[in-house]
Amino acid sequence: MASRTASTPRARRSQGVWANPVLPYLLTAPAILFVGGVLGYAVVSGFVTSLYKVEVWSIEQPFVGFDNYLDLFQDDKFINSLTRSFIFVFGTIAIGFFLSLGFALVLSQVRVARGLFRGIALIPYLVSGIATAVMWRFLFVGSNSLINHITTALGFGTVSWLGDPTNALIVVILANVWFISPFATLILLAGLQTIDNELYEAASIDGARWHQQFIHITLPAIMPMIALSMMWLSFASFNMFDIILPLTGGGPGRATEVLAVYMYQLAFRSLDYSGASAVMMVLLVINLTFSVVYLRIFRER
Amino acid sequence: MGVSSVARSAQSSLDLQYFSRFLRRNFYWIPLLVFTVWSLLPIIWSISASFKGAIDVYASPRLIPEHPTLDNYVRVFTYPNFSRYLFNSLFLSLTSTVLAVAVSSLAAYSFARYNFRLRNVLLVAILIPRILPRASLIVPLYRMVEQAGLLDTYIALIIAYTATAIPFATWILTGFFVAVPKELEEAAATDGASMWQRIRHIVLPIAVPGLVTVAVFSLREAWNEFPFVLALTTSSEIRTLPYQLFLLRDAIGIQDWPLLNAFTIVTILPILLLYLRFERNIVSGITQGALK
Repeated sequence: MASRTASTPRARRSQGVWANPVLPYLLTAPAILFVGGVLGYAVVSGFVTSLYKVEVWSIEQPFVGFDNYLDLFQDDKFINSLTRSFIFVFGTIAIGFFLSLGFALVLSQVRVARGLFRGIALIPYLVSGIATAVMWRFLFVGSNSLINHITTALGFGTVSWLGDPTNALIVVILANVWFISPFATLILLAGLQTIDNELYEAASIDGARWHQQFIHITLPAIMPMIALSMMWLSFASFNMFDIILPLTGGGPGRATEVLAVYMYQLAFRSLDYSGASAVMMVLLVINLTFSVVYLRIFRER
Repeated sequence: MGVSSVARSAQSSLDLQYFSRFLRRNFYWIPLLVFTVWSLLPIIWSISASFKGAIDVYASPRLIPEHPTLDNYVRVFTYPNFSRYLFNSLFLSLTSTVLAVAVSSLAAYSFARYNFRLRNVLLVAILIPRILPRASLIVPLYRMVEQAGLLDTYIALIIAYTATAIPFATWILTGFFVAVPKELEEAAATDGASMWQRIRHIVLPIAVPGLVTVAVFSLREAWNEFPFVLALTTSSEIRTLPYQLFLLRDAIGIQDWPLLNAFTIVTILPILLLYLRFERNIVSGITQGALK
């Protein structure tokens, strides 16, 4: 059969269009060079550095195997930032997921000016992390801040938002949710728009209440999008750096010093490149584990 | 559950059901309002403060300034080296975006059209780094750039920005290029069109929504980027707007909130305007790309 279709001159020539053995490699070469040469090399060299003891004041760089990792896990500051990272990530997912699901559900119901509201929903994601941090700091810091005016009006008085370890963590989580959840909203909204409206109509005729419809129609239909949005929220939070450094600088004390911030301080303040590289590998392994777990859960459904 | 029992339970809660349906159909605007305020409040409050004087900003919390002033914006635009930071941000965003779109288009075309032996291996090799967090790379990147003697240069930042933009761009563009019918190109090829002519006159015009999406996202990434410029530059010659905003915020002493807010608004405005111009395109570009 194949030889018969290929025997017409036109088909033969059109097959010839896609039969170049070298061209596809040439076309992908620049992208491979950029990605492999910069990102790939960075990961490999980070891993190698984490196996050596690199110190700026010493010429010798002895191979130490996994000693840097063992040191890390005995370091209270590292354990602290690991704990802070997990609180930060789970706090963001817990708030951010329900917020974006709620927002997506409401947006899918909107009939007037839907484009406008959808546009507004994505706006925080376009602002830079630094700008987000400055705006959120302005909302919370000092007795004259907007939030403190509100808490005073409500009778709670002035709250020390960024001076208190727990409050600072809450503010950082809220700022992070504000910054990254719009993209999760967009993913969930895309999922909701693929659901056939007739399913809901049929369910209403059968007497299914809205929460039954939600559990039996909406949720199963957007399961892949739920997995994708949670993956996005945990990735973006685990590696969040832009918001925390300008908002709290990791403080007060080390209350908001998540892994990425700890790694930065280790490398650029303490000049401990080996330790920082080991933290980087821990970050990458956690990211990888997260994605494998999410894909598992998502595939089992 | 039998049909009759379903009917009975439906009947007994009929009023409630109509009521709840009425609520759902017409009162979505209450949560919508809450979500909209949540999304816009920090920006609106910042815009408000950017038009206030130093006394107004510490006085009562009014949304509309009592004595509105443009003074803060004048101070931003006459800030020492402001035009330099603006130029750096623009230059780095534009060059890395042009490079990333060009390089990704070639790769995406190859993945969309050719069936070569290492196709899947290379595709995975380009797409997997999407999960590499930017901040986590700053330590090895700093050491690489330092050893190459490229600290405080445009070229180091352009290469770093381009490399981080390529995975996402290739992913979205491959989806868009696959959607361009192969037959169109085959017909053009039989008429003697070269690959470059086919890409230029057939594939790219059809994939314009994808190109716009990728370009806007790449511009957004580079314009807002912070970890790389923090790690790879120290000189004010190469400094970008976000970095300067970070330094302003980091300054010791009483914070000049009117200036800080005006500076913030100026740095976020270009991307907001760009986004509002292409909003429809971008949202559908992302959702189409993500669903492929």
